[in-house]
Amino acid sequence: MLHPTRRLLRHSLTSGRQPRVSVSQPTPYSWVASDGLLEAEVKAYRASTCQSLVQRHIAIKENITYRHAPTTCSSAILKDFNSDYNATCVELLLHQGAAICGQTKMDEFGMGSNTTHLPEGYTPVYNPGGPVDDDAPRSVGGSSGGSAAAVAEGSCWAALGTDTGGSVRLPASYCGVVGLKPSYRLISRFGVVSYADSLDCVGILARDISIASQIFSTLNHPDPRDMTNVSSVTRQRAHALLVQHIEEIQRHGGPKGALQGYRIGIPNQTRLPSPHLTIPSELVSYLESQRATVVSVDIPSWTKTLPAYYVLASAEASSNLARYGGGFFGSAQPDGEEGRRRVRTEGFGREVKKRLLAGTYALSANQFDNTYLKALYLRRTLRREFDSIFRIPHPVRSYPSVYESAPNSDTTSSPPRPSSTSTATSAPDGVDVLLHPTAISTAPPLSKTLSSESEYAQDLLTVPASLGGLPCMSVPAGVGSDGWPIGMSVSSQWGMEQLVFDVGRVIEQWGKGQ
Amino acid sequence: MPTTTKPSSREEDGWQTVIGLEIHAQLKTGRKLFSNAKISHHDPPNTHVEPFDRAYPGSLPVLDPEAIRLSILTALSLGCTINPRSTFDRKHYFYHDIPASYQITQHYNPLARGGRIRLDEMDGLEHPIEVNIEQLQVEQDTAKSQLIAGRRTIDLNRAGVGLMEIVTAPDMRSPNQAGAFVRKLQSLLRRVGSGDGDMENGNLRVDANISVNRIGQPFGTRCEIKNLNSVRFLQQALVSERRRQIEHYTTSSQPLQQETRGLDETTGETYSLRSKEDAEDYRYMPDSNLPAMIIPPSYIQQLQSTLPEMPWQTISRLTSTYNISSRDIATLINLDDQHFSVVRYWEDVVSGDKTLGKKSMNWVAHELLGQLKRVGLDWNIDRISPKLMREVILAVEDGSITGTTAKTIIRHCITSSSPQTSLNDILEYLGMTSLPEENLRELCQEAIRRLPKESELIKKGNTKIISRLIGEVMKISSGRADAKLAREVLVDLLMKE
Repeated sequence: MLHPTRRLLRHSLTSGRQPRVSVSQPTPYSWVASDGLLEAEVKAYRASTCQSLVQRHIAIKENITYRHAPTTCSSAILKDFNSDYNATCVELLLHQGAAICGQTKMDEFGMGSNTTHLPEGYTPVYNPGGPVDDDAPRSVGGSSGGSAAAVAEGSCWAALGTDTGGSVRLPASYCGVVGLKPSYRLISRFGVVSYADSLDCVGILARDISIASQIFSTLNHPDPRDMTNVSSVTRQRAHALLVQHIEEIQRHGGPKGALQGYRIGIPNQTRLPSPHLTIPSELVSYLESQRATVVSVDIPSWTKTLPAYYVLASAEASSNLARYGGGFFGSAQPDGEEGRRRVRTEGFGREVKKRLLAGTYALSANQFDNTYLKALYLRRTLRREFDSIFRIPHPVRSYPSVYESAPNSDTTSSPPRPSSTSTATSAPDGVDVLLHPTAISTAPPLSKTLSSESEYAQDLLTVPASLGGLPCMSVPAGVGSDGWPIGMSVSSQWGMEQLVFDVGRVIEQWGKGQ
Repeated sequence: MPTTTKPSSREEDGWQTVIGLEIHAQLKTGRKLFSNAKISHHDPPNTHVEPFDRAYPGSLPVLDPEAIRLSILTALSLGCTINPRSTFDRKHYFYHDIPASYQITQHYNPLARGGRIRLDEMDGLEHPIEVNIEQLQVEQDTAKSQLIAGRRTIDLNRAGVGLMEIVTAPDMRSPNQAGAFVRKLQSLLRRVGSGDGDMENGNLRVDANISVNRIGQPFGTRCEIKNLNSVRFLQQALVSERRRQIEHYTTSSQPLQQETRGLDETTGETYSLRSKEDAEDYRYMPDSNLPAMIIPPSYIQQLQSTLPEMPWQTISRLTSTYNISSRDIATLINLDDQHFSVVRYWEDVVSGDKTLGKKSMNWVAHELLGQLKRVGLDWNIDRISPKLMREVILAVEDGSITGTTAKTIIRHCITSSSPQTSLNDILEYLGMTSLPEENLRELCQEAIRRLPKESELIKKGNTKIISRLIGEVMKISSGRADAKLAREVLVDLLMKE
């Protein structure tokens, strides 16, 4: 089969609202805006004089609501769901003059890591990021695979995805683009269809870090429609901490370099045995040549928290997806309990059903203490360990929040137990960012999806930043021995996207030279 | 004393009834608990529905702070302790009345715990009892689901309206006590302004847990009776459920089944809805879209200081200060049971004057309210200010105006649209200033002229009928004459001749 080229001409994108079925080559899109709509939209929002994204074409993942297209979450159960409002993140883009050029395919409701869990009628998404002579179609990663592919092939300037456990970073790594999962609570989730509320983040896919950071600052605003979104006061506090930290770093004299004074930690738990990818030693040398200090760090609960992720994500999914099949939206009009059963049985794909069953089980009265509560406990343990290895303190940790509170584990109806409100402490000999490969391998061929064991190892690399609510960005860092892209993940303390960008730019620079 | 319970039959002697209540009271705020949709009770179905109320994908909850303020006020007036950090949880079940398939409630960390209400003679109980409040939590109401001609209809106007769920300890021992509790809670909610206590429209709903046991034996198995929507139905359900349970224990060796029951309002009997085995697993889970509510002590103190006096506190304070009946105070309270404007009015009239208590109560509760009622007017303090009312009452007391005059003044004030002025101005306006003595003399002479027969008899010594002449003087003067003075003048005139 012919491999899709990096550039996809605009005229080849059909308009219309049906999932696009490609004749010659598979496309990442579900729906592509007509030229007319694009023009009308740009005109409608051309009110402000200082728009930063004028005429920029941005694709969005199919679980982000947009008035002009069905928000299907790549699920048959939502195939007729037309939102009558825009998500906050979409509004913010439109206000800066951007045009929404299409909605991209995803694993159904974000559940999957190869964009292969698709409803009937959806063509698969092939990875456009590899060498032109490679003809075995490879995975784009998932679940935001459509968005990553759209950026990689150049059919949009940037794309929005969502990241619950790595869904932006993994496809970015496979496709050779930048994928940013910002800190949880920074970007409004209003209008983003929930998978797991305590983990879901709107993420950004872009060709380079400067585009990603430009979109990040467009979206990084308080939103009263999302109560988990942090206030300006909190943002200012985080910013003050950052400024203070950077001043301190730079006060130390010595030879100048782009990363002068930065301390980069490589978690021991991410050093996986061959044939899994490791950080190229040349990259480490390059970082050191830029005056960064690279050290090993130990995060003992890193591996233990993987089951916590599976429990929390599937438990929340079982709750969030319970609404589908009720007849309040979409076209399905179920008749009583039997009808609801039919709608849900036919409407959800296999992977979704599997996770819903697992989540329902985790929340059942017999299992709750042993699964859900333990998962909350493990997440809190991981967060403490993160706090103890970063030099910069957590700007909001001293403020207890809902997701940190485990209902008492002894009995489910015991008195409240306020979570610890101890002020966050920083580790003076800690690090500023963590660095590790984003994926265990380059994009696998679509015919050879990962074994469950490798999938587990893969999740190990992306899930901890999600559980920690930390900013994490996958940056292209050259290619593997097969000529396909590899990505490096840079993460930092909550709210410290700037540090992630700083280190990321150096990696990006190194990657371009490879 | 309100009662609907029949005297217990002989078979029920020797048995103890144990009752606990769960009350759902709609919060009287302008909007739904987590959306901006208005709260309405009589608008066409599905007209107040925001995306979140129908669980629209991508919608998120935004908490109404007013609902929390009112709930804290209610909890404080129940003597509860406010949880410094409370959270929202999801309770899952599939049903037509719940679009998200979960209800947001407070399962793990409710807003408040541990209060109490005392019930005593004022509440119609012979012996006072204390009912402990286990907890008060905030949650969403469901949609209204109805089966009309075989078709299921859903009205989302009610979906997501804020509720307080108030759970009592099993501290009540009779249907009467349970009824008294609900009535007292209704008056508390109205006074605080957090709810209207309206059971008829379903704004307040009661679930009752009841068990029976032989006195001295441990508690029996309890059954829950759901959705009782009047105090009468509550008491009726408890009476019949008590009878059913005792009958079961006396006639069967099988254990009583723990179940959820409903009340058949036509027969007054309860019936089984579902047994405990069918109970659903609600899979409670914290709602990650709603951050924990941190309630600082300073805010609680501030609300505590604005807590209004409760009706029973007002009654006991006023009856112990003034020689007045609690019934009269209750009448004044019931006219405005949220703001107590009528009680406050009366307190302004009496102004701490203990000797005036009973008199002023008669003038306000009987004369003023009676007159308003007769002409079909609502209570309105502007019609006659407490200061003017007090002046009128004092004038009657010192004899400077007659009772009749006072009544005329009140009638004038509540019906005329002219701005109220001082007592003297009104008397003048009505031409009712008391007559100078020479005018009175003329009037008396006129009365004698009009009633020559009676005058003759009086002159002959039949002084008793002088009251007829006084009456005539009053008639001629349109009530302006001083009766006592008129008698003196008449005696003087008749005896002199």
